[in-house]
Amino acid sequence: MKPIMTFDKAFSELEKIVGQIEDENIQLDTLADKVKDANELIKYCETRLRAISEDIEKEKINNG
Amino acid sequence: MPVAQKLSQLINEIDATIHNRFAGKTFWIKAEITDVKKYADKRWCFLKFIEKDGNVITTEIKGVFWSNTYYQVENFEKETQQLFASGLEITCSVRVRFHKRFGLDLEVLAIDYAYAIGKMEIERKQTLERLVKENAGIQLLSDGNFSTDNNRLDLPTVFQKIALVTAPNSDGQRDFKEVIEKNKYGYSFYVKEFLTQVQGDAAATLIMQQLENIKLAKAVFDVVVIVRGGGSDTDFKSFNTFDLANFVASFPIPVLTGIGHDRNTSIVDLMARQHKTPTEVATFIIDNNMSFEQDLLQLKERFFTGVKSLLDTAQNKLTYISRIIKSSSPKTILNKGFAIILRNNAIITDPQQIGVNDEVQAILKDEVLHTTVYKKETNETYNDF
Repeated sequence: MKPIMTFDKAFSELEKIVGQIEDENIQLDTLADKVKDANELIKYCETRLRAISEDIEKEKINNG
Repeated sequence: MPVAQKLSQLINEIDATIHNRFAGKTFWIKAEITDVKKYADKRWCFLKFIEKDGNVITTEIKGVFWSNTYYQVENFEKETQQLFASGLEITCSVRVRFHKRFGLDLEVLAIDYAYAIGKMEIERKQTLERLVKENAGIQLLSDGNFSTDNNRLDLPTVFQKIALVTAPNSDGQRDFKEVIEKNKYGYSFYVKEFLTQVQGDAAATLIMQQLENIKLAKAVFDVVVIVRGGGSDTDFKSFNTFDLANFVASFPIPVLTGIGHDRNTSIVDLMARQHKTPTEVATFIIDNNMSFEQDLLQLKERFFTGVKSLLDTAQNKLTYISRIIKSSSPKTILNKGFAIILRNNAIITDPQQIGVNDEVQAILKDEVLHTTVYKKETNETYNDF
């Protein structure tokens, strides 16, 4: 089962990507991947802020 | 045979004696109260005044508030923020009354709130001193607040799993949940309730038991919220006890309090993170999550600005390069009036390769000139382009 990523982790991943983008030393070939990753991280946080029930279920399973 | 008088004759004499001595007089007394029974509907309050030698009650008399002085009980609770209940020591003004059927009692006319408040202040100070002395994690700060293991814990970036300590069906519980559940941003929360009474002698112990349950619970909570409603039942005694305050000060999950009183801060508040009301705690939680989301959106904005700038830069480079390529193409050169010289179908870049009488082609924009070289000289005339 995919472990739950913390908000802190997701945020710092996103910060890292933004840092790379702003640095402008990035290979354009990898840009598409970066955009995909960033979009996923943003969507992940936005979704999790509004749907916690799934996390709780996962936790119950993991702990129980 | 003894001459017996009627009971009423004796009682009348007692009544008359008491009346002679005490009628119209009031006295200030200081005593512990016990067996307090309030009849809020009738606005009566019955109690006993006692005095002890160690644990032995040596002196005892009934006391009563009638409806005309019942407001003194209510004011006492409002002023001191504790229930008028057994175990308190109070100073009050009384009148001695004797009733032929119900006997002797003291009718209370007024309570000295200042005495009660002063006494509470001393107890509070002693409790705080003891906390600092006995719990190494508690320090008094220069601004009068306290730093504790609990209130030094980092708050989570986002609050989601909340352990709610509250009295069942209370205003505090309802207010808190209302704000949490109906937040306009649509954030979702998992709120697990740990129900307990929050006032009365047993409250401190029961709250500690529920905190213990929170620690043992399978779900890892982001935060513990202790709430109670305000209103007339203003007993904060349990929140000023050493044991509960000490327990909260060392509790491993951040504790937010909203125990519904706007003038006083309880000792538990000082050990945790205080918000005035349950609604304020809930608002704080929502705002915290909103602040995270704003940071996230800012980062998103920065990301897309960055991507756009990267693409723009790349696009600009491409445009620049293609312009250079275009400007150095033969077609562009010919358009400007230059010619390309061929000999034997090869472009001549070095004039030394051409001799007099050689056949060469001069390629211009639209035409080719087939010519024979009849003269060569060093270019001294056309060097100032």
